[in-house]
Formats: sequence, C-alpha cells, structure tokens
Amino acid sequence: MKLRDSHPTREELLMAADGELSAGRAERLQKHLSACWECRSQTRELEEAIGDYVRLHRRRLDPMLPPAAGPRALLKAQLSELASSHTSRSWSWFDLSAWRRGLVAASAICIAIAIGLLTRWEWAARELRPDAPGVPVAIPNARLTPGVAVATSREEVCRESPPKNKMVPVSVQRRVFQAYGIDSADPGAYEVDYLITPALGGSDDIRNLWPQSYAATIWNARVKDALEDRLRQLVCTGALDLPTAQRDISRNWIAAYRNYFHTDRPISELSP
Amino acid sequence: MSDQPPESAVSLPLPERIGASRPPKSSTLEEEVTDLFGQLRDRLLRYLLSIGLPLQDGEEIVQEAFLSLFLHLQRGRSRHNLRGWIFRVAHNLALKRRTQAGGSFRSPADPAEASGDLLADPAPNAEDQMASSQEQRLLMAVLQAQPEQDRRCLALRAEGLSYREIAETLGISLGAVSHLLTRSLARLARASER
Repeated sequence: MKLRDSHPTREELLMAADGELSAGRAERLQKHLSACWECRSQTRELEEAIGDYVRLHRRRLDPMLPPAAGPRALLKAQLSELASSHTSRSWSWFDLSAWRRGLVAASAICIAIAIGLLTRWEWAARELRPDAPGVPVAIPNARLTPGVAVATSREEVCRESPPKNKMVPVSVQRRVFQAYGIDSADPGAYEVDYLITPALGGSDDIRNLWPQSYAATIWNARVKDALEDRLRQLVCTGALDLPTAQRDISRNWIAAYRNYFHTDRPISELSP
Repeated sequence: MSDQPPESAVSLPLPERIGASRPPKSSTLEEEVTDLFGQLRDRLLRYLLSIGLPLQDGEEIVQEAFLSLFLHLQRGRSRHNLRGWIFRVAHNLALKRRTQAGGSFRSPADPAEASGDLLADPAPNAEDQMASSQEQRLLMAVLQAQPEQDRRCLALRAEGLSYREIAETLGISLGAVSHLLTRSLARLARASER
C-alpha cells in the first residue's frame, strides 16, 4: 500500500474501519485520511452501507428468533445426559478380560434394574394424586380437571405475546378447593393453577383449574412453567400442533415434561 | 472453495491441543457451555436463518453445535477462540443439512416476502416510514442478488466475527474475506444512492 503516493483502495479503507490493518499500516492510512477529503467521504459511504446492512439484517431476523429459555433448558438437559454417559464410559473398561467384562455387565444390568424399580416406586409415590386432603398435588385429578381449551388454532395462540395467567377469582378458587376436598386444609398451601395455560389456549373454566401444592414436590409450578414455554415455542414454530400440545399437557404434564425435555427429572433438579 | 461439509461436527480439523492433560470437570464445563450458549445463541441462530435455514433446523443445529463443543472441551482440546469454533461447526452442520435436504433451502428473505410489516421503520411520520421501507426493500433485493458467499461474509461480520474467524468458518482466505465484504458493501452503497 503506497499511501504517500496514491489513495488507499476501498478494501484498505474497510479493513482500517474494521481494525484489520497492522498498526503501522493503520497509522499511515490515518495520516492520509486526515489530509484527504475524498477518502474520508469514501469511508463514510462504507460506514453508511454497513449501518444499512446491519439494520436490515436485525430487523428481518430478530422477529423470527424465539425466546432462548426453552432451548437453553433443553441444552442443559442434554448436557447432563451427555456428562453422565461420558462419566460412565470413562473408566478402563477395555482393560478387563472378556469374562470379567461379562461379569461386570451382568452386575451392572442387575443393579440398573434394581435402581430402576426403586426409582419408579419413589416417583410413582411422589406423583400420586391426593386421595386425602392436604397431600401435595403434583398432577390433577383427571375427573375433576380434564383440561379445557378455548383456542384451537396456532394462529390464535401465537398471534400475540403469551398472556400472563390471570388471577383466579377467590370464589372460583374456593370451588376448586371444595371439589378437591381440601376446604378443611390450609388453602394458603396451594395455588389454583391452569392445567392448560392460557398461553396455549387454556380456558378459565373450572375444569381447567386445579390446586397445585406449594409443598415439597420437585414437580412444582416453576417446572410446569418451563414445559409451557417449551410447548408454546414448539407450537409457534410449527414443530408441534396445538391440539397435541394441549392434550399432552392436560393428560399428564409430568410425562409431557419428560418427553419434551428428554429427561426423567426436572432440569432444575439436575443442575449443579 | 468447496461447499462440502465434513462428515460430522466433531470430526472437523480441530485446533491443536493446549496442555491436554486432564479433562475438566463436567459440571463446570456444563456451566461454561450453557453460559456460551447464552452469549452466542441468538447470533448463531440469526446467521443460520440468514443463510436460509428453516427455524426448526437452525435450533437443532445450534443444540448440536453446543453439544459438540461440550465434547470438544471434555476431551481437553484447545480453548482457543471458541466463538469461531462454534460458528465453524454450525456452518458445516448447516451445509450438511442442506445437502441432505436436496441442496437448497428456502430463503427467509425473499424480496417478495419482505413485506412492509417486517421491514417497517418505527418512524412517526407515515411518509418517512414508506420511504424507509421502500429503501429497505430495494436493499433486500440487492442483497438477495449477491453471491451466496458474499451474503455469508456480511452476515458473519454483522454477528461480530473478525476476518480471520470468517475465513476459518467459510474455509476461504483472509484476502477473500476483505475482497467479498468490500464488493458487497459497495453494491449496497450504490443501491442506497439510487
């Protein structure tokens, strides 16, 4: 680049603006610019073209980006799975002789079956619906709360930003508690929640409301919120149809969570 | 340069190992990868959409790229320029997906689709707004008429990548990056003058 004798090329001007020139070349070019209106005006044109392009790029693509919370949760779940599978593979399996490997594999299968059974019992116990007042409610009674939707099309649900769950009137809350037989227990221990969230087209109908316990179940309202966000994202990107999302969340939202997040436990539980 | 992607993301030629002694602890790595996801997800997804990937495919590729990053770090491989690494992996996965889809994606930025709604300027004055959206439609048409590699360079630069990172992502020389960027910006500048 002979800046003293001639004008820099457009490419050199762009590289200077982008900080891609070496310090020596950048300094010489800066000196030239301070003396040359023509090159300064060319630099300004380049900057304007960059500004136009960036505006176009962002304005065209930003509205297409779904919120990051769902994909982030999915990544965390997959990372946990990957980390645990890698850990189990990292010991020196191939150092063992063939019969020892067989023995270890058989023992591992037995242990896995035993753990699986124990875990299933534990989870089944924790997810049980309440037969008596005061029992933590992780999933609603399907007879009392089958789930009711008002919106049936993707357009209706995705047209606007997701509505926040409205406060359920106290009189309706009382009816929900009565239906679940917990009028004698402390209603303050429960939150009346929507089974199919309004963000997925759920209705205010009492058959879509249930008392979700604040008590110590890991399948709590925060976990259900993450599922609702994930399902809405899948519906609005066209990856899942709305009736399926409504059906899955109303039949058994915990099973739906496991299915859509590819995990057996809530992701918040898996986090370190 | 060839558009052929490598067989898989993890089989890419990776930077040299730096003190690859003991792989780092998984829980810390999970946090690190999740943090990087927070910083780069939007940029990466925007780039993938800009080269015509459907949203669902874009989201899947972003997930796959970050899982590959986790494995890369878990194996104690180089931590040099992870941003460039993740863009390179995602770009190659996108090309691979395109090959599987029969060689083409629909463009998200077809000038005919670029309606006033999408490109509307939030200017208070209706006349200004109309002029601005007409100008943007013209720019869009000029952009769409540019060679694919030029558009990729522009999009990567707009997402904050350096020339070297762009060159590595696209598998072209540094000189080619500055040449393609200058050429495409000159075309956009001429369109704005009209």
